[in-house]
Amino acid sequence: MDPVIADRLQFAFTVMFHYLFPIATIGLAPFVAVYTWKAARTGDEETARIARFWTRIFAINFAAGVVTGIPMQFQFGTNWAVFSRRSGPLIAQPLAMESMFAFFLESVFLGILLYRRERAPTMLTAWSAVLVCAGAWASGFFIITANAWMQHPVGYSIAPDGTIRLVNIWAVLFSPFALWQSAHVLTGALLAGGFIVAGIGAYYLLSQREPQIGRRFVRAGCIVGFVCSMLIVFPTGDENGRDVTTYEPVKLAAMEGLFASEKGAPLAIIGMPDTSKNDLIDPIFVPQILSILAYGNPDANVKGLRAYAHGLWPPVELTYYAYHVMVGLGTIFMGVYAIAVLLLFRDRLFSVPLMLWALMLLMPFPYIANEAGWVVSEVGRQPWIIYGIMRTTEGVSPNVASGETLFTLIGFAGMYFLLGVLFLLLVLREIAIGPSGAEQAARPSTPLRMTGDGGA
Amino acid sequence: MSVAAFVVIAFMLTMYVLLDGYDLGVAAIAPLIGRTERERDAVLASIGPFWNGNEVWLVASVAALFALFPEVYASAFSGFYLPFVVALWLLMFRGLALELRRHLPSELWRQFWDAALSFSSALLIVTFGVALGNLLRGLPLNAAGYFQGTFDDLLNPYALLVAVFALVTLGQHGAAFVLMRVEGGPAALATRLLDRSWWVVLILYAGVTALTLVVHGLPARGGWLLVLPVLSLSALTALRVSLKQGRPGAAFTMSSVFLATLLVATAGTIYPYILPAFPPGRGGISIFAAAPSSLAVASALGVTILGSILVLLYSSVVWKRMAGKIRVE
Ligand code: HDD
Ligand code: HEM
Ligand code: HEM
Repeated sequence: MDPVIADRLQFAFTVMFHYLFPIATIGLAPFVAVYTWKAARTGDEETARIARFWTRIFAINFAAGVVTGIPMQFQFGTNWAVFSRRSGPLIAQPLAMESMFAFFLESVFLGILLYRRERAPTMLTAWSAVLVCAGAWASGFFIITANAWMQHPVGYSIAPDGTIRLVNIWAVLFSPFALWQSAHVLTGALLAGGFIVAGIGAYYLLSQREPQIGRRFVRAGCIVGFVCSMLIVFPTGDENGRDVTTYEPVKLAAMEGLFASEKGAPLAIIGMPDTSKNDLIDPIFVPQILSILAYGNPDANVKGLRAYAHGLWPPVELTYYAYHVMVGLGTIFMGVYAIAVLLLFRDRLFSVPLMLWALMLLMPFPYIANEAGWVVSEVGRQPWIIYGIMRTTEGVSPNVASGETLFTLIGFAGMYFLLGVLFLLLVLREIAIGPSGAEQAARPSTPLRMTGDGGA
Repeated sequence: MSVAAFVVIAFMLTMYVLLDGYDLGVAAIAPLIGRTERERDAVLASIGPFWNGNEVWLVASVAALFALFPEVYASAFSGFYLPFVVALWLLMFRGLALELRRHLPSELWRQFWDAALSFSSALLIVTFGVALGNLLRGLPLNAAGYFQGTFDDLLNPYALLVAVFALVTLGQHGAAFVLMRVEGGPAALATRLLDRSWWVVLILYAGVTALTLVVHGLPARGGWLLVLPVLSLSALTALRVSLKQGRPGAAFTMSSVFLATLLVATAGTIYPYILPAFPPGRGGISIFAAAPSSLAVASALGVTILGSILVLLYSSVVWKRMAGKIRVE
């Protein structure tokens, strides 16, 4: 097998699996922080139970996120040695910041959150929860900066030997491209968090357990989910689209399945791109919308794929379908949550089982939308590993055979399968125990007692 | 600047060994000092809140290496592809074992994860030991600076001896930590263990030091390095004295000092190479070769130094808050 393909498969598989867990930790961290804070402030017993419940779910996700994240950090060096050599001085800056300013914060304070022996949250636990949340969000931001730079390189120069030199770190960190991409990604994760909270709440209501807490979950989850489902489209999705139009026009053409350049380009809602005929089959068009979305002008000329050399095309079908899955789901999310919020404010939501079913069943779909978005972004960037500077084929490690990569890919697949099963088992168990069940359920016995002053 | 970068990397890796070293050591010896399930719970609870934060020193060191010495990062990580991936799997397994063992109230579940935990932690220490041994001995590198050897080359007798030394030393470090944090049965067993392991550490220390001089020769500019064995031996002696006086906190500190002197000695020995070639004297990747632009180095140094200070500040607050002994009832 071509080593490049093996490396790409391995990277795609491991990073897509890793990302499943940050979605939930980034999305749930604000809920953990708010509930813990409230419980510490008011001393309310129910809120304290809720806080502990989400902390436990968060902790399982966090553990899985950490163990799948560490291989990512090594993989740049193991699989993409030439890429790392050339771009390390630049791309590793945000990675170093992520470790120093985000991972430490998250890990150190999670220790307090999980292992404090008091039952009721104190202000110390409340602050820890806030810092853990800050760490999760900051790590999302820094890693996206690295990715954004690969999509749209800024603040660099190229040395005679080909190494990429850092010229302006602020330009890298705060390029509008990176800021909008971060905003979109973090909103996508928070959206998933809202959907999870609402979905589990709906499950508790439908199964007639914990009606009181179920209502609180549905209420909070619906509001967060609704606001995010708006923000994910406008302004963040819209701005992402404009950035792609400006800086990665080939990706835009592939996303939209636009083969011929057109003035007043239409938006294809449905259709199958066919690269053997270089055309979109059985499309349904909405006239002029693409020109408006991309340039804010109904008559703007949008370049199609045929305007570019074939060697510069990303895999068109995958990019196109992934994009349509993401946008399609985004539209559905907005619709369903708009109705849910409407019902909520009319006090009807809890008596419409159909709506609760919808909220519960919608839970996995933000994951699909988020992963599909990444496929758009990363597959659509091909054939470049760093847009316009370095091709993916040039980036791989010269001294690692594809056999080794395949062997380790199979190893990762095996481990991740087991990890996935364990993860589901533990999360489903926590959900089955529920916030109130925690007291009675046989929590692992803790025969331990702290002596001395264990702190405040 | 290159020297500063080298010092920062060495510092971060030393922090990693001191901190994650104790939780690796504790996990590796847990079956020896925790005879019953409750005792093991207590032993592992002592590292529970800290291990993840400790491990971030590794993640951060890797990121800093990537930023400061991309050549070395690329060459070492792709060169040792399989060993690194295996180390990764062990790290993953260990993290899972530590976190998951608490989640189901089943005895079998815990027995499985406890065994997995000790096994993967011990094997990780050995893997790191082999890596350290080969770093000291030098690596077969080709002209482009990529590793050019086989897996077997790495498992040479010298590196294996260093690995054994690492295992015993970190086991001792872990036992000292347990003594500081746990009361009751495990503490008594840890005391007995320390009593015996001390002699083993001493003998292995002498052997490894002598062999290093043989394999590597006395470093050209390294006269000051001769101070380090004196420091190491004093720390080791002080460790024993503190134990006899029943001062576990001091013993743990001395164990840390001992480890730190060893790591400083390692850094001093390979300097100015960050990836020395084998046989010694053939050069290697020097810290002065192909340094990235000064702005990149300055930025990464700023991030790591400022970051380290912040981390140490808030970590020490957390350590204080979470201090206190765990008692097995
Ligand atoms: C809940 C998840 C979710 C939903 C509903 C949407 N997105 Fe998205 N989208 C993501 C989650 C996401 C993501 C996973 O976060 C991506 C992947 C990479 C990135 O930067 O964000 C992404 C990428 C991404 C990109 C590619 C950016 C790039 O290549 O750099 C564009 C143009 C959009 N999105 C636009 C939209 C629009 C117009 C949406 C309107 C319905 C939309 N997204 C819904
Ligand atoms: C978690 C979210 C992410 C997902 C799901 C994701 C997904 C993917 C996928 C599917 C590929 C394969 C593309 C192909 O080969 O056609 C890929 C490649 C790659 N991505 Fe990402 N990516 C993510 C985040 C990142 C980030 C944050 C970075 C950089 C810091 C990054 C760097 C890379 C690199 C170096 C490659 C390999 C080269 C290539 O194939 O383009 N990715 N990613
Ligand atoms: C190729 C890209 C990536 C690399 C190299 C990477 C690296 C890592 C590493 C090393 C860890 C473990 C940190 C620890 O020990 O505490 C981790 C965890 C984490 N990563 Fe990633 N990561 C990548 C992609 C992403 C993306 C795209 C996001 C979010 C947008 C993300 C968010 C997180 C978060 C929040 C954590 C903390 C653990 C958790 O919450 O699950 N990562 N990552």
